[in-house]
Amino acid sequence: MNLTEMSFDDLMEEAYGLPGGKAKLELLEQAVRVADAAGDIDQGYEARSEIVELGSFHGYPMKALVAFSWQLGQYDKNPGRFDDYSLMWSYKWVLDRITAFADISRVQIENLLEDMKTRFAAEGYSSRTYHYYRAHILAELGELDASQAEWDIVQTMERDEMSDCQACEQHHLVEFLAKREDDEATVKAAEPILKGKMSCGEVPHVTITKVLFPLLRLGRQKEADKLQKKGYKLVKGNRDFLYHQGEHIGYLTLTDPIKALEVFEEYIASSLDHENPVDQMIFNAYSAKMFRRLAGESIRFQVKLPAGHPCEHQSGEVESLAKHFRQLALATAEKLDKRNGNAYYTTLLQQL
Amino acid sequence: MENQNRDTYRFQVNLSGMINILSNHLYSSPKVFLRELLQNGIDAITARQAYSSDGYEGKIHVEVSGTSTGATLLVEDNGIGLNEAEIHEFLAMIGQSSKRGEDFLSTNTSFIGRFGIGLLSCFMVSDDIVMVTQSAKGGPALEWRGKPDGTYTIRKLEGQYAPGTKVFLRCKEGSEAYFEEGNLQEWLFHYGALLPYPIQLVSDHTTRLINSQSPPWVKDPQLARKHREEVLAFGKQVLGETFRDFIPLHTTSGRTGGIAFILPQAVNLNAKRNHRVYLKHMLVSEAASNILPDWAFFVKCLIWTDELQPTASREHFYENAQLEQVREELGNSIRQELMRMAEYDPDRLQSIISLHALSMKALAAEDLSFYSIIHEWLPFESTFGRKPLGELKQHPPLYFTSTLDEYRQITHVASAQSMLVVNGGFIYDAELLSRLPLVDPDVKTERLLPEEVSLSFTDITPQERLDYYESVRLADSVLQKFRCQVQLRRFKPEEIPVLYTLSEESAQWRVLEATKEVSTDALSSVLGSLGATLKDAAYATLYFNLNNPVIGRAFHPAHQKMLPSIIEMLYCNALMMGHYPMNRQEIALLNKGIIQFIDWGLTASHVTGGDE
Repeated sequence: MNLTEMSFDDLMEEAYGLPGGKAKLELLEQAVRVADAAGDIDQGYEARSEIVELGSFHGYPMKALVAFSWQLGQYDKNPGRFDDYSLMWSYKWVLDRITAFADISRVQIENLLEDMKTRFAAEGYSSRTYHYYRAHILAELGELDASQAEWDIVQTMERDEMSDCQACEQHHLVEFLAKREDDEATVKAAEPILKGKMSCGEVPHVTITKVLFPLLRLGRQKEADKLQKKGYKLVKGNRDFLYHQGEHIGYLTLTDPIKALEVFEEYIASSLDHENPVDQMIFNAYSAKMFRRLAGESIRFQVKLPAGHPCEHQSGEVESLAKHFRQLALATAEKLDKRNGNAYYTTLLQQL
Repeated sequence: MENQNRDTYRFQVNLSGMINILSNHLYSSPKVFLRELLQNGIDAITARQAYSSDGYEGKIHVEVSGTSTGATLLVEDNGIGLNEAEIHEFLAMIGQSSKRGEDFLSTNTSFIGRFGIGLLSCFMVSDDIVMVTQSAKGGPALEWRGKPDGTYTIRKLEGQYAPGTKVFLRCKEGSEAYFEEGNLQEWLFHYGALLPYPIQLVSDHTTRLINSQSPPWVKDPQLARKHREEVLAFGKQVLGETFRDFIPLHTTSGRTGGIAFILPQAVNLNAKRNHRVYLKHMLVSEAASNILPDWAFFVKCLIWTDELQPTASREHFYENAQLEQVREELGNSIRQELMRMAEYDPDRLQSIISLHALSMKALAAEDLSFYSIIHEWLPFESTFGRKPLGELKQHPPLYFTSTLDEYRQITHVASAQSMLVVNGGFIYDAELLSRLPLVDPDVKTERLLPEEVSLSFTDITPQERLDYYESVRLADSVLQKFRCQVQLRRFKPEEIPVLYTLSEESAQWRVLEATKEVSTDALSSVLGSLGATLKDAAYATLYFNLNNPVIGRAFHPAHQKMLPSIIEMLYCNALMMGHYPMNRQEIALLNKGIIQFIDWGLTASHVTGGDE
């Protein structure tokens, strides 16, 4: 196959046939190049729509952000040419992960939120989604009280076509309660999801890890163990769930550390070139914790690291691995805290 | 006399509504009435075997007479038969089923319950159904006659009948095809190919046996290996394709088995997976997609099982824990066989892999132990051509790129240097290459970045460095604004004057910069912030090849005046050759340069008259 000789349609067709991942991304990026070279805005828009979706749900949030930026610019320059509904929906995906990049300032994030609010209002949607994402973003910035205030507003408003599905909304609530470290409320809020009454493409995948630690602390390990097995199957193999794969490592470190090591080995490669710094940070932090735990064992571990990993030659030294991963995680946490103006993430890492 | 024995009843249901549901929503085609009748016969035979098994042999007899709307079909079994109470029971079941909806169909698998539904499906092709049945437990023979208007009669028959059930169907207008001999023969085989009882089809002209005794490898799929030709012939007959190889399937419980025929042609990752599944010997699905793991897209299977729960239409299976386990075990059968081949029959494995590398790679990416056993045969694209990994790993360290884009950037140069680089750009490849040391600790792999092809370049001599020092400095300053640095080297092939290489960061930075030009203010500012961190790392390199005679001349101090334009043009040319999108500034540069060179050319031509 010679990529450079393929037409836009061929590239797109081949891309549609692939599962979400790097190979698909590459085809789409090539399709963008072909479209741009031909000056075909519609094709460029189509291929970028796919990149936004792929990037948002398969672990390339930066690519999604860049492709979306191009789309929004073209949307403004060519009124009426593109579908507003799906573009506005993509806006939410982009905002969902925007706080993960420490280089993006608070002012810039605020500006984007306001921009979304204005655009949604212009299309006739309510400001509920704005408050909902504001609540999410504030929670990600570590301002839980301010986030709570937004949540309170959301509760009073009616859902509309731009609202996330009910399962996603319920999940966000669970996530928020977990951040508040309210174990009982977390488990309670997760109940409808865990019982299968609410589900969607990513729920309960992402919800399960949120209740594992609370259940363990509440003395309900049996339930937690069962959920962990179920949840792990759901997030297996998709790099978009690196954060949750990290949380599985964290939980297994407490209950079955050898299994935790297996999970680590499975995902270390995809964590290396992952685009989401927060997901990487959580993965690294739990990995560090696992290596500290393994260092206490009397057996010697030979850790399987992928080619080119900076610690390739220390694969038998779990203590130095613990240090390496901890430093990586801390470096990100410090950058995030500096941007956020608090000590939320460094404190979080210490508590893990 | 007759009236004494005949009672007229009404179904307690809206029968035409039921028939409509069955034919339009539940069953994929009216021809399933044959499956339902065969199923009724099998159930009756099974029940009779349980009742008394001395020398009894079950069989099914099908007879068609007359043509077009005058055609009548008889389907007869020598099973246990029904007594009056049971007839009322199955009719009651039909009544219940309409109230309980599909749940009833999916959960109730008792002989009697199924019988009623099966008979009901015949209304799809007939308005006049007569059933004559004699229970093996004694009592009078009974005749049941049903009409789609919801009325039926039951009549006690005089005389002695052999135990069993006969169902007579009179052809309904528009259903002629379902009473045609050729079709009947095909469809009966279609559903009943694996039935353990003989089915006989009789018409005015001939009597034929639809299915021979079910082969021994159906009971024990492992035996299939000893009956290779027979199994392949069976595959062709049932699946309509010519296969050359297969893998027997089995589960530990012994309740599910099958044959995975290896597709004779390569298939796409997203190709439909249509496996044919028999439940309790009867065909239930021709399109079961969820019975094998996702990676097994290189086989088409015949599977028989008695442990899975069919959905309401009885054409698919419920996704439950049982199915999950069966799927895993069937997948294991395939995996084990491939691993066995790697050890004892590598040629066979090789021929499978040559067609189905993608499927093998999908499995290898999922399962490290499988990968370790078959990795030597997996083909990868490289600067030495498409070669199996076993051969490629003889050239340590094994360089690979993680994307096609990176591979493209360096492939010409690497080939010309006889440098082995493996393309990790296609699906699963980079992942597998980076894991190679995990399955073979002796092999060293290294991810090659485009900027690292210079590893194999020849440095220029100290004298050359001195001679070209000023020119290189000048060139460097010209490209500074494009975050590109200049290197003077010697490399093959000499036809390539310049090579532009780009790190991942600089590639990303270029895209960010280009997008900033078209985006909104709020997002441009965000992209600017993201770019800021990349910027320092984002230097591209333009290698000038001194082996190329033009480059030698261009860098000669005598041409310093023209050099900036030459550098700019070669830079733009390198971007185009590498298929990089150019930003506004670069396009402007290219335009200016072309005009400049035309001007120079015309000036020179004016002096020489174009005869130079």
